[in-house]
Amino acid sequence: MNVPMKWLKEYVDIKLDSKEYASRMVMTGTGVESIEQTGSGFDHVVVGKVESIVKHPDSDHLVICQVNVGSEVIQIVTGAPNVFEGAYVPVALDGAHLPGGVKIKKGKLRGVVSNGMMCSGPELEIPEGLYPHCGDEGLLIFQEPHEPGTDVKEVFGLGDDVIEFEILANRPDCLSVWGLSRESAAVLGEHFVKPEISVRECEGDSFENYASVEVRDDELCPRYCARVIKNVKIGPSPLWMRAYLYGAGVRPINNIVDITNFVMLETGHPMHAFDLSKVKDGKIVVRRAHPGEELVTLDGKKHVLSEDMLVIADAQNATGLAGIMGGEESEIVSDTHAVLFECAAFQRANNRVTARSLGIRTEASSRYEKGVCPETVMEAIERACQLVNELECGEVVPGVFDHYPNPQPERVVKAQVSRIQNRISVPVPGETMADILDSLEIQTELQDNELTCRIPAFREDIETDADLSEEVLRLYGYEHIPSTMLKGETQAGGRSERQRLLDKVKNALVGMGGYEAMNFSFVSPKWLAAMGFEQGDERLDPVVVRNPLGEDTSVMRTSLAPSMLNTLSLNINRGNPEGMLFETAPIFHKSQAGQLPQEELTLCVGLYGDKKDFYDLKDIVTCMLAQFGISPTVSAGGEGYYHPGRKAVLSVDGTEIGQLGEVHPDIAAKFDIERRVYLAEIKLEAVKALEQPIGAVKVLPKFPAVTRDLALVVDEAVGVGPLMETIRSAAGKTLETISLFDVYRGLQLGQDKKSVAFALSFRAADRTLTDADINHAMERILSACEGEYKAEIRK
Amino acid sequence: MQEQLKAIMARVTEELKNIQDTGALEQLRVSVMGKKGELTQILRGMGSLPAEERPAMGQLVNQTRAALEQAMEERLQVLSEMEKQKRLEQEKIDVTLPGKTRSAGSLHPMNVVLSDLLDIFTGMGFEVVEGPEVEFDHYNFELLNLPKNHPARDAQDTFYIEDNIVLRTHTSPVQARIMTTRKPPIRIVCPGRVYRADEVDATHSPVFHQMEGLVIDENVSIGDLKGTLDTFARKLYGEGVTTRFRPSFFPFTEPSAEVDVTCAACKGKGCRMCKGTGWIEVLGAGMVNPKVLEMCGIDPTKYSGFAFGMGIERLTILKYNVPDMRYLYENDLRFLSQFR
Repeated sequence: MNVPMKWLKEYVDIKLDSKEYASRMVMTGTGVESIEQTGSGFDHVVVGKVESIVKHPDSDHLVICQVNVGSEVIQIVTGAPNVFEGAYVPVALDGAHLPGGVKIKKGKLRGVVSNGMMCSGPELEIPEGLYPHCGDEGLLIFQEPHEPGTDVKEVFGLGDDVIEFEILANRPDCLSVWGLSRESAAVLGEHFVKPEISVRECEGDSFENYASVEVRDDELCPRYCARVIKNVKIGPSPLWMRAYLYGAGVRPINNIVDITNFVMLETGHPMHAFDLSKVKDGKIVVRRAHPGEELVTLDGKKHVLSEDMLVIADAQNATGLAGIMGGEESEIVSDTHAVLFECAAFQRANNRVTARSLGIRTEASSRYEKGVCPETVMEAIERACQLVNELECGEVVPGVFDHYPNPQPERVVKAQVSRIQNRISVPVPGETMADILDSLEIQTELQDNELTCRIPAFREDIETDADLSEEVLRLYGYEHIPSTMLKGETQAGGRSERQRLLDKVKNALVGMGGYEAMNFSFVSPKWLAAMGFEQGDERLDPVVVRNPLGEDTSVMRTSLAPSMLNTLSLNINRGNPEGMLFETAPIFHKSQAGQLPQEELTLCVGLYGDKKDFYDLKDIVTCMLAQFGISPTVSAGGEGYYHPGRKAVLSVDGTEIGQLGEVHPDIAAKFDIERRVYLAEIKLEAVKALEQPIGAVKVLPKFPAVTRDLALVVDEAVGVGPLMETIRSAAGKTLETISLFDVYRGLQLGQDKKSVAFALSFRAADRTLTDADINHAMERILSACEGEYKAEIRK
Repeated sequence: MQEQLKAIMARVTEELKNIQDTGALEQLRVSVMGKKGELTQILRGMGSLPAEERPAMGQLVNQTRAALEQAMEERLQVLSEMEKQKRLEQEKIDVTLPGKTRSAGSLHPMNVVLSDLLDIFTGMGFEVVEGPEVEFDHYNFELLNLPKNHPARDAQDTFYIEDNIVLRTHTSPVQARIMTTRKPPIRIVCPGRVYRADEVDATHSPVFHQMEGLVIDENVSIGDLKGTLDTFARKLYGEGVTTRFRPSFFPFTEPSAEVDVTCAACKGKGCRMCKGTGWIEVLGAGMVNPKVLEMCGIDPTKYSGFAFGMGIERLTILKYNVPDMRYLYENDLRFLSQFR
């Protein structure tokens, strides 16, 4: 909320400069976003009186003026057609700055000296509505005489500091000049002086002669007040009011509308003014909308309403949305004669839902949804009538309509001084607490260490002693909070199982050159479709966000693969030559309605680069799994989005724990990838479950190992993995290690044949192995390989 | 014979001076002391000497032999050292060639920051607890004193899955879950991913990360909160850093505070980073609202507690001067590789 300092100073004595004042407010809980001076766009512009005008000798459209600027009479050349002798105009003196970085200097115009510039409203960027005709081209002519030399900011009511306050959600009472004055007084140790409100009514007339009001829903409209103003004279409001409104960011319109806005800003109560000539039969009905009822609001938009919405209607039709926006028909115009002022309290939850569902947000609705106090409604409407008296813009008709069937009971909160002291860790004496609360208009009595607090109606946020303790502490000063260490039982603390799992996975991958990526958890359904899942795959039926920001972020991801492909694509297309990226995150499986989706922690690794291939990724994944003591079985196969001949399933005892492979070129192309990329996806919960603890150590061998090489020629189709398994089981327990050292293909081997060479190492725990032992083992190996794969020793 | 020995001694001494490698030295040694060496021949010739001359001559031969061995050994030392130096010189490599092993990658910068936070808080006895990202309205809002249509819900524009299921807007529901299932003392931190309906721009993201903390015990005070956060600030930013509490409002705490820490860039003097204030806002905190304790089944007359929360994105952006929030979710390797 923007508030001009002068407006605040009407009600509370603020001696500090704006910056110091703002910092005091900030440290007591009222946020300040900015301090800006109105009219700061120009300087050295004063009132000048045009004394005489003569034609420029060398120009048809220029004239030479002698202008009294107070201290002297200066010569100014102008081309403005509306200048006349005796006119009071704004004059930018030599050295003046104007908005947009313009600097005024003495000079010559067609050979004639000109010592300044007479200005138009737009040249000074005087906001529309602040001064009559200030939006027009041509010189701005002041409507009334001013002392020449007067700073024009005075004339426009500019030059005041405007504080932009940021009000906390629990303090709607501070969304008003009075509320902020009250708060400021408490903070500064000053007094808040509210103006005395008295209304002068005309004689011999009555509210009933003009209007009748009927409130049909007490729940949605707990209070409704109305007043009638007759013989209205629509015109501009006085400068001081326009300046306050402008400072607060509200455009001045006319005296009646300005009064309603002024009262809203000052008291926090939104008001509405109806042109009574347009209210059918002068009848105002506050009711729920009829289903399907239509209304065109002030902004010209047509809305179809429902029964859950509260409207203000005349005898027949809805004319406004209660507390949100008035209707087009009853708008105040220049020939309005009689006006009905409305000031009411509407239920905030209902107001909020209505405004949201119709997509309207107005100053009024934002106030109602934060909460407007019913208790002070009457005060606000009386303030408006008082201003009508002051501005002499109409006559207040005797009689007030006030519908307030359930006045709020007074609320009393009791609190132990010691309990507050404990809560705030500061031994504030009971008397000081009472003084602080009193300064906030919370009337407090202190007796036997107990505070009895009468909570004013506008402080709905104060319900318990915890709330009181905050009031005490923030005004006493948060800087008094001591810094103490936690006492009590020592806790073991520590990372969660999940964190430890993730740390281990990530450390392994980082050590192998991986960079951790983070992607949004929601994706476009198009990404899921691009993966080519088969129809009926549960991944095509994701958890859907009901109100997404857009399609791109509308479903919870059922696989990390699309996000990773997108990440790889971005890096490839930005020219990063190679990369290994990984992400650990849950994927979301839909549950039945009313249940939370199942979140499955998953790892996805992506790899690309000129020297990278399937086996690099396989090595990365198996090394990572080795950290958990897991050596998975790798078998050909896997998801359809992998290359049909370059994909594998990782499993342990028949349980799949993940897959890896080269991405199918068709799928990669859908993510704008035109090179080979590799993905691995691992189920981390399975990894956790299969983790093998590090057991007791094996005693180091005492006897030497014997090594033999073995090269076998087999069919191309024979997998090295199964072949190694066969060798291992045929060799018996003396085979300590087996490792592949060569795969060879050549014409002499024959078509579709390959030679696979292994280094075998044998060892026994209890003796040195003999040649005979090894030969036996080799024979067993050979015969098993011959039997299973028709393998032959390479000659 | 004596003459012979002298001659050998003199010749060997002379030759040793000229020998420049260990191979030649070995040849010389064999030619003198090998099986067919000169000295060995002399020793064999001893048999022909009269018995009374033998002891003296034997002694002389041995002395000569020892002297020769010593001389050769000394020369060997010198030559070996020379040869080693020469070898080391020849083995010089270009150490500026790139290394052979692959370079390490790195954690995401936000997890680098989070990891520091977890170290600090687990060190203070906090336990790390996590919960689901898709959450019941009940835990995300209701138990935290944010009833339906409460205006404070607006500050956390919520993504809905169903009427009562949301993408959690903060990590506080984890605290609510713990409070409803455990008995005090409770001392936890809850890191995690949260969601709010903010369009992506330089300072906003619909997905972001928080870490919240909760302590509940008998006699927990706001001073303990300040002490805990002071310790946290010192450990994260260094000695001399303190916190400043400003009054604020959160529905689940009362009193509530925005917490600033001494600006790390200027040490509190005031600079561009802190807009001249000397302070940087990093977290929100407060005493757990007794209403929240009560709703979660904890007796507010016996127990009190505090809670605090911070945004990991914000801490990361401050720590590394990240110019745009979008950097954090783009995963460009040129950005990610700066955090090794």
